[in-house]
Amino acid sequence: MSVVQSDANKINANAMKFDWPVSRSTTISVLSVVIFFLAWQIAPELGLVNGRFTSQPSKVYLAAIEVFRTDNFLFHARISLTEFVLGFSLALAVSVPLGALLGTSRYARLLLDPPLMALYIAPTLILLPIMVIWLGIDLPSKIAVVFLGAIFPIIVNTMAGMREADAQLIRAARSFGANRFDVFTRILIPSSLPSILMGVRLAVGRGVLGVVVGELYVSQAGVGHQLMTYGSAMRIDRLLVYALIISIFGYTLTSLVRLLENRVRNWRPQ
Amino acid sequence: MTQIEIRDLRVEYKTPKSDEAFVAIDNISLDIEQGEFITIVGASGCGKSTLLLTIAGLVNVTSGSVTINNNTVNGPGRDRAVVFQDASLLPWRSVLGNVKFGLEMQRWKDDDIGERAKRFIKMVGLEKFTDYHPHQLSGGMRQRVNIARALAVDPDVLLMDEPFGALDAQTREVMGDELMNIWERDRKTALFVTHDIDEAIFLADRVIVMGRDPGRIKEVMKIDMERPRNAAMFESDEFAKYRRRLRDHLEEDMASMHLVTEVA
Ligand SMILES: Nc1ncnc2c1ncn2[C@@H]1O[C@H](COP(=O)(O)OP(=O)(O)OP(=O)(O)O)[C@@H](O)[C@H]1O
Ligand SMILES: [Mg+2]
Repeated sequence: MSVVQSDANKINANAMKFDWPVSRSTTISVLSVVIFFLAWQIAPELGLVNGRFTSQPSKVYLAAIEVFRTDNFLFHARISLTEFVLGFSLALAVSVPLGALLGTSRYARLLLDPPLMALYIAPTLILLPIMVIWLGIDLPSKIAVVFLGAIFPIIVNTMAGMREADAQLIRAARSFGANRFDVFTRILIPSSLPSILMGVRLAVGRGVLGVVVGELYVSQAGVGHQLMTYGSAMRIDRLLVYALIISIFGYTLTSLVRLLENRVRNWRPQ
Repeated sequence: MTQIEIRDLRVEYKTPKSDEAFVAIDNISLDIEQGEFITIVGASGCGKSTLLLTIAGLVNVTSGSVTINNNTVNGPGRDRAVVFQDASLLPWRSVLGNVKFGLEMQRWKDDDIGERAKRFIKMVGLEKFTDYHPHQLSGGMRQRVNIARALAVDPDVLLMDEPFGALDAQTREVMGDELMNIWERDRKTALFVTHDIDEAIFLADRVIVMGRDPGRIKEVMKIDMERPRNAAMFESDEFAKYRRRLRDHLEEDMASMHLVTEVA
């Protein structure tokens, strides 16, 4: 009895010690962000760091307004977005069917698996100079880089998803007379959807990287081109504005795919 | 009327490494009457599932034959439906969607499918759970869905491979009872694989006892107890007699299995 009693006291004491207004972790996170921005703002003014290299939150804020007003932002954004959307759509159109083929045909796998794995693991950005030589410095080479970056994660994950489909479900479907097409559309596609979407999510990151690095390497316009311009002009404030925009774009798109992923994963136990 | 004729059936499986095929069942001959309830028992690995899946058309005959209503089986067909042990419901479909699935695969007319599926969901007592997904159901409820899905396609022959194998003893008994009630309505020919001796006796017109190495029929035991059956029968002398007999058979097999492990 007395043991139980003292345990209860301990729990009580703990509860009192950690009685934070908001949740403890939220408080700490918010605090750390605030401190970071404060330090960033104050440090150059105190002469602790050189403001030319670090810029300041207030300057970045002003630079953001400038960028949206006078920097032809929409023009550059549209070019980059076009490259991304075209490259990514092309990648989707090719990779899902190809992944499905690889997931369902042993021969296709024997033939294509090793080169695919090599390309999946290698950073496809190493092909960028070749793409520029073949396709020039404008849109086509960037589309190709996005395409190459996005295609392999989707192929590999689509393939894995199809291969991991539950053999019991396929057998049950066959017992009701399902043909190969039925099995594909009714069992393989739905059961590999979470895996396909995971591939798409990984591909988003690689696609965004492809656009930016492609434009950084050589280009006449686009957000990567602006990054390069302000980088060589030492405009840290504007540089950060573009970096932020790119991050937000990638993060938003990734989150949307994850949302979709969670929806289709909902039916899974766990 | 004889509905299923099995003649000198032999089924081999390819073995992973050697070229030699593995004989899962051999020399099986059996006639099953229309409306009969057959249960199949036997030690693990004696080929019960193989026999059932062969009748379902999901496993190929090596030699011999299986005919149903005088048609030779060489694949799945509308005249048969299978209830598997578990994990055979589509997890992304609701109860309704799952029961509709069999009907869709068999190309029933779209207008009938929904209503028909609902009727069979009601029959197994799940009308309140029509929109639930499999992971939201208990094991017993999932098996009810499996049974509803199989019955909905109106098969001549119902094939069940340890449908209650994953359930606890009490749920199992309840489900056996319910299955009997449903079966009594239209007395479809049924084959039912089980490990549970009492279940085998309670459900069956005939119990098929299978043995191993190779898988074969050791005995066909006719169960002469009136229908409808009820729980009180478990206590009867007749039941005890059948039970003892089946136990002896299965223990014999267990003994021979021990021998094999010792030699190895
Ligand atoms: N797909 C397969 N490929 C190769 N061998 C198989 C295959 N399926 C079953 N076997 C073998 O055939 C034999 C009979 O298997 P089966 O599943 O029919 O037995 P069972 O009586 O249903 O056993 P259990 O009671 O454990 O379910 C076993 O030795 C098993 O290893
Ligand atoms: Mg089995």
